[in-house]
Amino acid sequence: MPFYKCLKCGKVWQYPLSECPFCFIKLEPLVSKQAKVVSASKVIIPTMRHAFVPYFSALIEDENNNKWVYKSIQELNQGDCLSYCSDSEAIAVWRIKYDYLEAIRKAIELIKGLELKENSKILILPSLFSATQAHVRENTSPEFLQAIIEYLLQNNIKIENIKIASQAFGEIPIEAMAERSGLLAVCLKNKIMPLDLNKTNFIKQDDLEISEEVIKADLVINLGINQAGRAKATENIFRILKKENYLGLKYLCSEKEIAQKLENKINNLINLSEADYLRDKEGYIYYLGIILAGKSFLKLDRVFNEIIMSREISDLIADISFEDISLVGRHIKEIQFNLIKI
Amino acid sequence: MTKFDYSTKPWWQFAFEASLEAFKDAQMTPADIDAIVFSSISSAAGGEHQSHKVSFLSDLFKTNVPIIEVPSVCGGGGVAFWTALHLQGFKNILVLASEKYADNKSETTVDWILSAAEKTIEQPEGMLFPVQNALIWQQYMAKYKATMDDLSLVAFKNHTNATLNPKAYFYKKPIDLEKIKNSPIVASPFRLMDCSLSVNGGAAVILSQEESDIKVIGSGFATDYLMTFGRQDLTHFKATQLAAKQAFGQAGLTPNDINVAEVHDAFTSVELISYEDLGFADFGQGAELIRSGKINLGGSLPINPSGGLKAKGHPISATGLAQIYEITNQLKGRAEKERQTNPLPKYGLTHNIGGAGGSVTVHIFEKNN
Repeated sequence: MPFYKCLKCGKVWQYPLSECPFCFIKLEPLVSKQAKVVSASKVIIPTMRHAFVPYFSALIEDENNNKWVYKSIQELNQGDCLSYCSDSEAIAVWRIKYDYLEAIRKAIELIKGLELKENSKILILPSLFSATQAHVRENTSPEFLQAIIEYLLQNNIKIENIKIASQAFGEIPIEAMAERSGLLAVCLKNKIMPLDLNKTNFIKQDDLEISEEVIKADLVINLGINQAGRAKATENIFRILKKENYLGLKYLCSEKEIAQKLENKINNLINLSEADYLRDKEGYIYYLGIILAGKSFLKLDRVFNEIIMSREISDLIADISFEDISLVGRHIKEIQFNLIKI
Repeated sequence: MTKFDYSTKPWWQFAFEASLEAFKDAQMTPADIDAIVFSSISSAAGGEHQSHKVSFLSDLFKTNVPIIEVPSVCGGGGVAFWTALHLQGFKNILVLASEKYADNKSETTVDWILSAAEKTIEQPEGMLFPVQNALIWQQYMAKYKATMDDLSLVAFKNHTNATLNPKAYFYKKPIDLEKIKNSPIVASPFRLMDCSLSVNGGAAVILSQEESDIKVIGSGFATDYLMTFGRQDLTHFKATQLAAKQAFGQAGLTPNDINVAEVHDAFTSVELISYEDLGFADFGQGAELIRSGKINLGGSLPINPSGGLKAKGHPISATGLAQIYEITNQLKGRAEKERQTNPLPKYGLTHNIGGAGGSVTVHIFEKNN
């Protein structure tokens, strides 16, 4: 759990404030190294957002005497330490608590980090599906994009080696989507020229025509934005294909097959998906507070579907067995809730 | 005040009925009122949700006076009263609260009231109000060697009192101590009978510049962090201590001077801890106070003669004003014979908490002879 401390007056917040309102200086993030259970309560009554009982809600304290609360499906007792396994092949599930950068850092840590070198060339693929404002949650949030850029900069990636790209598959011009979503402003703020993949070269690999930018990049970061009844991390990855190639392939095979081909073909890919707020099929927005990370966009979308216990499931991921996916971070039952009830 | 129950009247009807009783008691009509301070969190079902209640009340009372809405969840009634006391230039102020929030499946109602707690950092971690208070109580038990049996005594006292109060939900519905001790666990170590009762209801008070037999002689209001465990003291509520200090300072009294009190008992532990925060017991001695019987009806300091939130019921914002209603009646000698503090009390205290100690008011009342 991150805390934010003013090094001048010593006051500590759990909210990521821009500066101390008493001293007007930037707050220092404190990341706990050791978290111990002070006490725990076994909760027997189910509530709307906590459907599975019993669960344990514990008071946790770290080495700085900062305290917070933590839900666990496993029994917790006084003195227990919180710890997490990491696995590069798993899907990481973590909570976003206002601070996207901290959530991204933890989710990536859970999948054993990224192989970043000083001169690594990074291609970020934000979700850009419609010309709508950020609060509609159709596209990657500007704050999420900004946080991943900051993460890369903090890991010594040079700004000139970061590209942000997408492609319009529909009628709406990409410029309109980028402007309205607020993502163009993030690019400009960071002095990154956004890239329309449609205008790049495409390299033929078997029956797939993949943007040269994807092939040239050392790492591609696919930013999904989870949505009920959809598989949006997977849908977003289709944008690396030449539009005509994608439309043609859809006549020849299913989207699921295209997705599986892409999953096998793209080896320099990591998926980070935000579900801080999620949108249902009718466009209503719900608070969820989740981030997912992993190498497989198909598995990531399947895990999300399990989290929201949705009866509707995209054909892209319908035959993926959830039980076969290994998870790291938060236990699925700690965060699962029934979207229908909400 | 209205009877606290699960009746399906609309929110404004609770407000209207409570106001009507207050008007008649004060021998006034809406025409005599020159300001209204109102508190509510409104309906969980949504159908009746009304964000502009002040305008609704204008229509209800056919008035164009200033109407201020002061929501502060469970502490709303007390904060509305404190606000009214601090308004200047008004002769008669109607302080009013009403709630119809128990109107859906309990899961929905719980989710609605949880909007009073931290939504992003704490609630996703299962931090419901019973859990929050259970964790505080665990700390208290470890530090002061209190027991769950002590909390059962708090519940038993308040349920016994409520059986005598016609406006309480548990009126004429006695519950024995063994049943309280063996009620189902909700969030360990809390049992169902450690939790107050979410009901619907309304309460109203008229504050007047005119001479009255009841005078407000102390008024304190303090706040504290929404995230309970970011506070310094994990076993007590600092905001109660601060509000009590203000109120006693203004009144020129000490806790020993109080003859009867309505103490916020959203959970049995909150009442016990508040004995200490209010100064009725030393730190760590709250359990001894409930064991002594001094705060039962007939004791030297009856606490929650109404049955409290626990057994009278807790219609969120209406609770703080219902406490003032009870203390006023106690000071006037108008409570039912079996509940009436005897000898007739001179000083009464109300203590109303919003959230888990997040906003607290303490008021002290004097009966003028």
